[in-house]
Amino acid sequence: MEHRTISRRRLLGASLGGVGGALLGLSGCGADNGSASAGTDHLSLWYWKGSLSDTLLATARRGVPAVPGLRVKGSQIPDGDIDSKVRTSLAARAYVPDLTVVNNDNLATFFPDEDEFLDLRTLGAEAVRDQYLDWKWKACFTPSGRMIGFPLDAGPTALYYRRDLFRRAGLPDDPKEVAAEIDTWEKYLAAGRTLRTKGPGKPYLVSNVGNVFQQVLLQSPKQFVDADNRFIGDQSHIRHAWDLSVEMLRQGISARITDGTPDYNAAMSGGRVASMTTAVWAINGLKDTAPKTSGAWRLTTMPDGPANYGGSYVTLTRYCRDPEAAFAFLKWLLGPANQLKSYQEMALFPTTPAAYADPAMHTPDPFFGGQQPIDVFGPAAQKAPVVYFSPYEETANTPFFQELTNVESLGKKPDRAWRDAVNTAETTLSRLGVS
Amino acid sequence: MTTVADPADAGAPAADRAERADGRGSRAKAPGGRRRHVGPLLAISPFYVLFAVFGAFPVVFSLYLSFQDWDGIGDMRFVGLKQYGWLLEDSVFWHSVLNTFEIWFLSTVPMLFLALVLAFLLHSQVRFTGAYRVAYFIPNVTSMVAMTVVFGSVFAQTGLANSALRLVGVDGVGWLSSEWGIKSSLSIMIIWRWVGYNALIFLAGLQAIPTEHFEAARVDGANSWQTLFRVVLPQLRPVVLFAAVTSTINGLQIFTESQVLFQSTDVGTTGGPGQEGMTIVLYLWQKAFKDHQFGYGAAMGWLLFAIIAVFTLINWRLVSGSDREDRGGIRSLLRRKGARNGR
Repeated sequence: MEHRTISRRRLLGASLGGVGGALLGLSGCGADNGSASAGTDHLSLWYWKGSLSDTLLATARRGVPAVPGLRVKGSQIPDGDIDSKVRTSLAARAYVPDLTVVNNDNLATFFPDEDEFLDLRTLGAEAVRDQYLDWKWKACFTPSGRMIGFPLDAGPTALYYRRDLFRRAGLPDDPKEVAAEIDTWEKYLAAGRTLRTKGPGKPYLVSNVGNVFQQVLLQSPKQFVDADNRFIGDQSHIRHAWDLSVEMLRQGISARITDGTPDYNAAMSGGRVASMTTAVWAINGLKDTAPKTSGAWRLTTMPDGPANYGGSYVTLTRYCRDPEAAFAFLKWLLGPANQLKSYQEMALFPTTPAAYADPAMHTPDPFFGGQQPIDVFGPAAQKAPVVYFSPYEETANTPFFQELTNVESLGKKPDRAWRDAVNTAETTLSRLGVS
Repeated sequence: MTTVADPADAGAPAADRAERADGRGSRAKAPGGRRRHVGPLLAISPFYVLFAVFGAFPVVFSLYLSFQDWDGIGDMRFVGLKQYGWLLEDSVFWHSVLNTFEIWFLSTVPMLFLALVLAFLLHSQVRFTGAYRVAYFIPNVTSMVAMTVVFGSVFAQTGLANSALRLVGVDGVGWLSSEWGIKSSLSIMIIWRWVGYNALIFLAGLQAIPTEHFEAARVDGANSWQTLFRVVLPQLRPVVLFAAVTSTINGLQIFTESQVLFQSTDVGTTGGPGQEGMTIVLYLWQKAFKDHQFGYGAAMGWLLFAIIAVFTLINWRLVSGSDREDRGGIRSLLRRKGARNGR
């Protein structure tokens, strides 16, 4: 009984202490300038696993080589949480990281609150502009002309295809020939029909049409909402992508499988799907999903030309304790030399074209039968279009992807699905001030 | 067990406490008396401080938020009741309400029935009861995210469920690609998770029934089914209603199963094909945390609260009604429910 009383008291004491500590922590909010690194000797950087080189971050933690006395400590945040966490800290004006990595899709969602981030031009960003891909650089700017992001990695796209299946169906199978002969989406669909009739095991061309819809969209400089906040999702550039996707379904060349599901894994490793159109970062996923198909895959230019799908930025929040030092760190971390290192270590595709010429990037990949991925992705990264993303892109395109899934899985009438998608997008956007 | 159930034991400290509370009330007026409260108040402070910060404040703030337009960072804009108005016109929201109720019904009814049967079997089982109890409870404490990934493979086109169906000569079902397939697979996951938990609650209720009742039933020649429906069920009514209320509250907040099953990190797949797996809470999450419409999400949260409150009220009426007709059993319950529907 005696020791039990003590332990209870100790428990109470511990919880009281915990609450006291929490209260102290809470009252600390806003005491300094709101930075998560206030009172320490380093700057804080939030990122998610795989978005930055671990080796370079370990170096930065000990001391950034180019900046005497500067230390940067990276904190890994789960990639599903980082956006809400950044928003929460910004709303609370407390524990905001000095620097944070932002995903491609999310940078624009911060445009309405662009003042929360520093304009990197005021720190001399223009001086390094010519080191970076032009479209990526332009994507760092808000509509009002402030530069709130700094280029991290790119996501150039390519056509991934199974050379063995293409050859046995009597289609061109050498990457150069495929690029020359299947150079439009219409010809790509025709190749899909050939695969279904002559290919071994009648493979499908794609796992689902969502990826094709996505890539055709990204080939267009216009998306769903323009820079004047007008809904343009009912116009021909979207309709073109939609019609092409519906046509693929009509011709039965889509396996109608959601990516990332067990069915998808089975189809990819079992040779039921002969190609896919996606970005460079999908390589590792494919290698994990279908290790047995190693050597059978090839890469070539996407029909109707390359696009960019994904990639990230680094931002400096307005709570950054030392903007000059933070920007010097960015120039070191994301300069051509270290982007090359990040590619070798983490497969982060550089946004500095100078790195593409480096022999270190020209390594043959046995998964692609000894082909060098850079030969396809390098030119693709340089040719990707300049695309404007509005803050409401995901809100606007969600109904279109959903309705496409409805046509694909539930057999909904395509015209009805299109009308529903346009109506839903318009209604939702009108409430957000998009006309 | 006995100390909790024994009214004499439980009553004594309660009366004692009441006395002391009275005494304290009169003494508080004396100078310096207030200091006496500091110790006890401090001792219980972990609860109310934590509750105020993480419970009460978010609730009040979300009510305030539901009248604002806010993207989570910038300035809030007061919009009055507009968010609620938009919500009432939102077909996806109503679809999610319908889905939630369909999934709730599909899961709760078989789940409670199964739990009752399991509890009855456990009650008569003599050997390994402890092992069974642990086994039944394990699904409830397993990570739902991990289990959903496993169920994702089970319900895949080429998964375990379809292979089993093919063995008995039935064609594969589109578990994750058809309206009722999606709802059934979500319901099965909910049943799997909660059936053991409710069985244990029923078992506790069963053990409180005096053995004389069972013996009397046996003497009268009742078989197992008759014992279950004529003896056990009427006695278990309060426990069944408790299980029904908690299942309603849990069932109307289904989220994880659907969110993980349909890869909600991708646009366009949230809720699955036709958004047949879109539940109220999943839609709330999508609007607030994916689309950054926090005011809209807050309004949805309060409508969900209203829906749950209505259901709890109905349940509460059913429970309080049992005092008046204490011999009516489930049948009188059904009769009253029928009468309410008829009105």
